[in-house]
Amino acid sequence: MDINDNLAEAITLVSAPHKLVTQTSGLLIEAQAVTPASSNGDVFSLFEENPDLVGLPVIENGRPIGMINRNIFMQSFARPFHREIYLQKSCIAFMDKLPLIVERETSIQDLSFKVIAGGEKALADGFIIAEDGNYAGVGRASDMLKAVADLQAEKNRLVMESIDYGSVIQRSLSRASRESMRRTLNDHFLIWEPRDVVSGDFYYFHEYEDGFLVILFDCTGHGVPGAFMTLIMSAFLQSALNEYGPRDPGALIAAVNRRVKQAMGQIDHSHGEPDAEPVSDDGMDAAFCWVDLGQRKLTYAGAHLPLFMWHPGDTEVQLVGGDRAGVGYATTAMDQTWRNHEIDLPEHSCIYFFTDGVMDQLGGRKGIAFGKRRIREILLKHADKPMPEQRSELMSAFTAYQGSHPRKDDVAAIGFRI
Amino acid sequence: MQDILIPATAETPEVKFLYSTHTLSITGESYPENAMVFYAPLRGGLHDYLAQVSEQAKIEAHFSLKYFNSSSTKLLRSLISLLNDAARAGKKITAHWYHDPEDDMMMEFGHDLQDEFGTLELNVTPFEPA
Repeated sequence: MDINDNLAEAITLVSAPHKLVTQTSGLLIEAQAVTPASSNGDVFSLFEENPDLVGLPVIENGRPIGMINRNIFMQSFARPFHREIYLQKSCIAFMDKLPLIVERETSIQDLSFKVIAGGEKALADGFIIAEDGNYAGVGRASDMLKAVADLQAEKNRLVMESIDYGSVIQRSLSRASRESMRRTLNDHFLIWEPRDVVSGDFYYFHEYEDGFLVILFDCTGHGVPGAFMTLIMSAFLQSALNEYGPRDPGALIAAVNRRVKQAMGQIDHSHGEPDAEPVSDDGMDAAFCWVDLGQRKLTYAGAHLPLFMWHPGDTEVQLVGGDRAGVGYATTAMDQTWRNHEIDLPEHSCIYFFTDGVMDQLGGRKGIAFGKRRIREILLKHADKPMPEQRSELMSAFTAYQGSHPRKDDVAAIGFRI
Repeated sequence: MQDILIPATAETPEVKFLYSTHTLSITGESYPENAMVFYAPLRGGLHDYLAQVSEQAKIEAHFSLKYFNSSSTKLLRSLISLLNDAARAGKKITAHWYHDPEDDMMMEFGHDLQDEFGTLELNVTPFEPA
């Protein structure tokens, strides 16, 4: 599985900077300044003596009143006769009277917006840092950019750390299902690939004396909101199971639907007053499947999410479609029901479920969906092989099809031979 | 009424809603994080338009989408539901759902829409892009 790789990559991408500058004061350079009493000759000498000096602040009674840019000053001074005319005159002649002046306590974020609003000038000359209006020093745009980048990296690190830990929680929640799956099914595969560290796709598996319950579900959204939904759905599923048991998948879906709608206040307001507070319109696609091992019978109920099936000797992979209503969602009725499909299972039958992240992934020459037909063809070609081999055949075909197209959604699938 | 013209972005389709010619076209891919934000104004515009348009007007809607996420799915359905309601109320509407000939997912979605919205004349048409 790629989960650990993703995690490792996410962690190495962001490393904490040593010390973060959060205020303009952290960028302060106590630079030399001149006053209107200084002559252009003085300024010229200062620039000559300090080749690194880009801007020279001008202060009057302790307050900054302007900034002399090195290049502008030197170019003007180099013009014919300018040197002779201006040498003894006050340095305010070549001064920019509207430099960017910021207070020490200004946050780096506010500062960056001011520098950007100031255009080329502030980027080139830097800015004057003041304390209660009095000159304190100067700051360089390059130092500011570094501070912004460091802050950005740190924020990114905190967010990623938080999502990484979310992923630890999400995976812990499915550990029992994975262990039960391994105990019960001697030939199976599981694919669970979050697009962004945590996933809106999730699964549940539990073994009983007479059979097992397997569920694959795909909540609205992906990433953090999707993962939230998987936790909510898992809790509702558990409570529905306590009440109805595992042997009637249709009843279980209906019970989860009622719980979601009640808890999230989902009532269809689409025809009501337009100013009403928008209600949650979140829910899931799902396949619920009870397998009775004694009778070799499978009961499947689906919300969108279909069942793929192959019996030994079949010349094609059959598809059993789910009902159209999603679980939860404002437009699904509180008393919605889902149909149970009863299917006999000859020895060595293969059963598969895929979330729409697999079926809807764009790719190929035309950039169109991977689709159910392609999945059925691949499954048919490899149905005789052990499930882990089928998994690799599927994933390599899927990855090859995706090519350079970005992954659109979380991807999950379950397959087992029974 | 003001036409609605929204250029395509990486995550949202191109929308052309021309009141003068009574045509609505939605073309491209649709997977914004919050589809409601994108579709709500369009749905409002379509709703108001359908309420006031004459029964003589010949209205055409063209849906030509390669990909949409689940929250967009619901909003596309709600647009088609508005068209279906208006058709039931006697407005002349023809809708077209285009899909690549090899795209079984889009074709299937079109047929689902046909089943779900019985009144609206909805053609599911394979379409090879130029």
